[in-house]
Amino acid sequence: MDRTQLLLTLSIALFCLGLVGVMIRRNALVMLMCMELMLNGVILSLVTFAERTATLSGAVLVFLVFVVAAAEIAIAIPIVLLLSRQRHTLDVGAYSELKG
Amino acid sequence: MSLETLLLYFFAAAALAGGVLMLIARHPMRVALALISSMLSLAGIYALLGVHVIAVFQVLIYVGAVMVFMVYVIMLLDVRDPSFLERYGRAMVPLVAIAAVLAVALSAAVSRGKMITAAELAPRHADRAAATFEVQPFSVEFIERYWLHFELTSVLLLAAVVAAIAVIKAGRRHDG
Amino acid sequence: MTMDLLTLIVLLPLAGFVLNGLLGNRLGKGFVSVVGCGLPVLAFCATVQAFLQLQASQGAALAETAYTWATVGDFRFEIAFYFDRLSALMTLIVTGVGSLIHIYSTGYMKEDASYARYFAYLNLFLFFMLLLVLGRSLLVCFVGWEGVGLASYLLIGFWFEDPAKAAAGKKAFITNRVGDAGFLLGMFLLYHALGTLDFDAVNEAFNGPVAPAVSASLVGVLLFIGATGKSAQIPLHVWLPDAMAGPTPVSALIHAATMVTAGVYLVARLNGLYLHAPEASQLIAVVGLATAFFAATIAVVQTDIKKVLAYSTVSQLGFMFLALGVGAYGVAVFHVYTHAFFKACLFLGAGSVIHAMSGEQDIRRMGGLAKRIPITFVTFAVATAAIAGIPPLAGFFSKDEILWFALASERGGSPLLWAVASFTALMTAFYMFRLLWLTFLTPSRMDHETEHHVHESPFSMTGVLIVLAILSAIGGFFHVYHFLEPVMPMPAESEALEHLKLPLIFFAVATGLAGLALAVFVYRGGLGRAEQLQRRFAGLHRVLSGKYYVDELYEAVLGRPLHWISERVFLGLGDRALIDGSLHGLTGLAQRAAGRLSRVETGNLQFYVLLAVLGVVASLAWMWGHG
Repeated sequence: MDRTQLLLTLSIALFCLGLVGVMIRRNALVMLMCMELMLNGVILSLVTFAERTATLSGAVLVFLVFVVAAAEIAIAIPIVLLLSRQRHTLDVGAYSELKG
Repeated sequence: MSLETLLLYFFAAAALAGGVLMLIARHPMRVALALISSMLSLAGIYALLGVHVIAVFQVLIYVGAVMVFMVYVIMLLDVRDPSFLERYGRAMVPLVAIAAVLAVALSAAVSRGKMITAAELAPRHADRAAATFEVQPFSVEFIERYWLHFELTSVLLLAAVVAAIAVIKAGRRHDG
Repeated sequence: MTMDLLTLIVLLPLAGFVLNGLLGNRLGKGFVSVVGCGLPVLAFCATVQAFLQLQASQGAALAETAYTWATVGDFRFEIAFYFDRLSALMTLIVTGVGSLIHIYSTGYMKEDASYARYFAYLNLFLFFMLLLVLGRSLLVCFVGWEGVGLASYLLIGFWFEDPAKAAAGKKAFITNRVGDAGFLLGMFLLYHALGTLDFDAVNEAFNGPVAPAVSASLVGVLLFIGATGKSAQIPLHVWLPDAMAGPTPVSALIHAATMVTAGVYLVARLNGLYLHAPEASQLIAVVGLATAFFAATIAVVQTDIKKVLAYSTVSQLGFMFLALGVGAYGVAVFHVYTHAFFKACLFLGAGSVIHAMSGEQDIRRMGGLAKRIPITFVTFAVATAAIAGIPPLAGFFSKDEILWFALASERGGSPLLWAVASFTALMTAFYMFRLLWLTFLTPSRMDHETEHHVHESPFSMTGVLIVLAILSAIGGFFHVYHFLEPVMPMPAESEALEHLKLPLIFFAVATGLAGLALAVFVYRGGLGRAEQLQRRFAGLHRVLSGKYYVDELYEAVLGRPLHWISERVFLGLGDRALIDGSLHGLTGLAQRAAGRLSRVETGNLQFYVLLAVLGVVASLAWMWGHG
């Protein structure tokens, strides 16, 4: 298979792996990391297309996505920390107050 | 099979393996290390593609900042957390099944599309990409055309910093 | 200004109602008295002017349209007023006697806290009564009809803090409404057949060459049912004695002089219809006579001064309907006219007695008042003689004519009617003189406290009594039925009985005097002989005191089953089971559905992610499927 297809398939695979990880892992931090994996998969597809069409805007977009990912993780982790301090556990199953 | 293609396959396989390891590993630290290896493989792929700027940024920002932060936090964890024992949530099987369906759907969508063959692409490949994605053209393009986005992202980062401080302060007040 | 005269007459009391109702409490009793009495007096003056106009035009009726109420396709419903001889007479009575009673009320109700409200309601009543008698069509008459029912309810239950009084008001209104069903049905039939509700048009239609496509008797009976309700005939008479719970001037105005005569007015007005409805007329005569008889028997044993007068009113109304039933419409109206004077005088006199006795109404505890309150005594005596039919007072003329036509009218007169009527007249004289003797002339049975406070009423009250007594005395000389003959033809009198006319007059006078003698005989020394008689005829006395147990019968036959139905069927089944049940069912359904649906909210984060992914997959599949 040619390169683009390979990379796109890889991107899909990474995305779905990340999605599966979010859905099945019970540790909050692991879920976050799986989300990062999803994001990476998407970035890979962005880069693939950017390279194929040789547009710099694609690269700029990727850079901006990096910035956003960094900002996101900077907020998400403290939130998870605070939550974990409340329940004294990182187990996502413990946070079910919205039940019912 | 050229060296490039080989390396490409290698890095792809490494990224995949890292992803799978993330799902299987028990200790979050191992999950983090798997993710780091995945990211490094991706950086390698970017470099192979000729987009060196992005490759460097991937290593610097993603691995160097985000994952380091993550590793620090994991090190704060208590080993006796029950999530270490119970790795998976309750509805594992149907979830995996659904995700598989999604994967199949997406890849089918991808493979249906008309793709330019490698032969067509090959002449364009090495020089142009390498030339286009040098640091200097990148920076010039960035500052000239995307300066607004640049400023906005700096505002975003400021907001993130403020939010992080607020979150921690709120937490501290809550704990009394 | 001539064209608007009738509208002015009607609107003046309405203005009084509005002014007193809105401003009365703020502007004090003086304002209320001036407005409350002044406006009816002005209405009376306007009526006199209209009457003079009527005389000048040889009796040609005045007609005015005040307002077009509704136009539905080809039909126009207008509020129009009609002033012919009959309306003239009725309006004069209503405004004249009404004004006098208003003036009396300023004295009687002086101490009452709700003075303004009283006069507002009284003016409102006058407005509706004028609508009733001046209305050109049955529709306007009906508006007035209902309106006086409302005013009656408001005034009977005037002291509504007492639940018994409030219940009396309610009873009056509801009994009236039962009769009104008949009235409405009659109106519908008439409108359907004739396309108009104007009185003059209806009379012409029935008197004309082509008989209308509706049975005159049927309409006659239906309208008479309405009249029974309003004029307290059997079986709808039960509200009038209870209505004595209201202030005495109210009883005088509404339940003696004006409102209760509305039924008589209705039948008399539609004489064209009733001339062609022999069955209905017969029914009216029989019901009227029966009512007169039974009410008189009850009045004989009553011990409350106002109740005696109430039953007397019912009885006299029976006489009026008897006259209507035998076709002597003018004579019935003549009796309305004289009855207004002496009955109002009697009621107001009773009010004066009650005022003097500081609220006592039981005649067993009265007596010997003749010397203490002489003016009241003299006026009361004159009115009593009038009602008993002693010549030359007013009652003699009208009652005598009724008795004559009951015997000799070609439209249903018979000796039986005359005999029962004469016996009733005897009873009338008896119980009225009984009342007079027990209240004024027997030795005193008052307790000392009350006796000490007995005093003559103020001039606002006694003055009115004097005027009414004079009218009771001389009113009979104006032969109303001759005056009304162009509008209401007199029935033909039987030729064969012509020779009995003069003897009959003597017989009637003798009856009256016999009643007087009997009353004096039984009650001369007080209650002693009466109590002996009571012991001997204990059973009869019990039935009469129980008013033939009509109220209890109604309660058992109508009241309790209705109550049961309301409680069990409508409340239990209809309201609780059906309406509440369906509502509860709906809410229960909503709650159960919500409960089931809320299982989606597991609180488990990963489950939500699953749902999101499911959604994505579904949308992808859909997009894929639809190309």
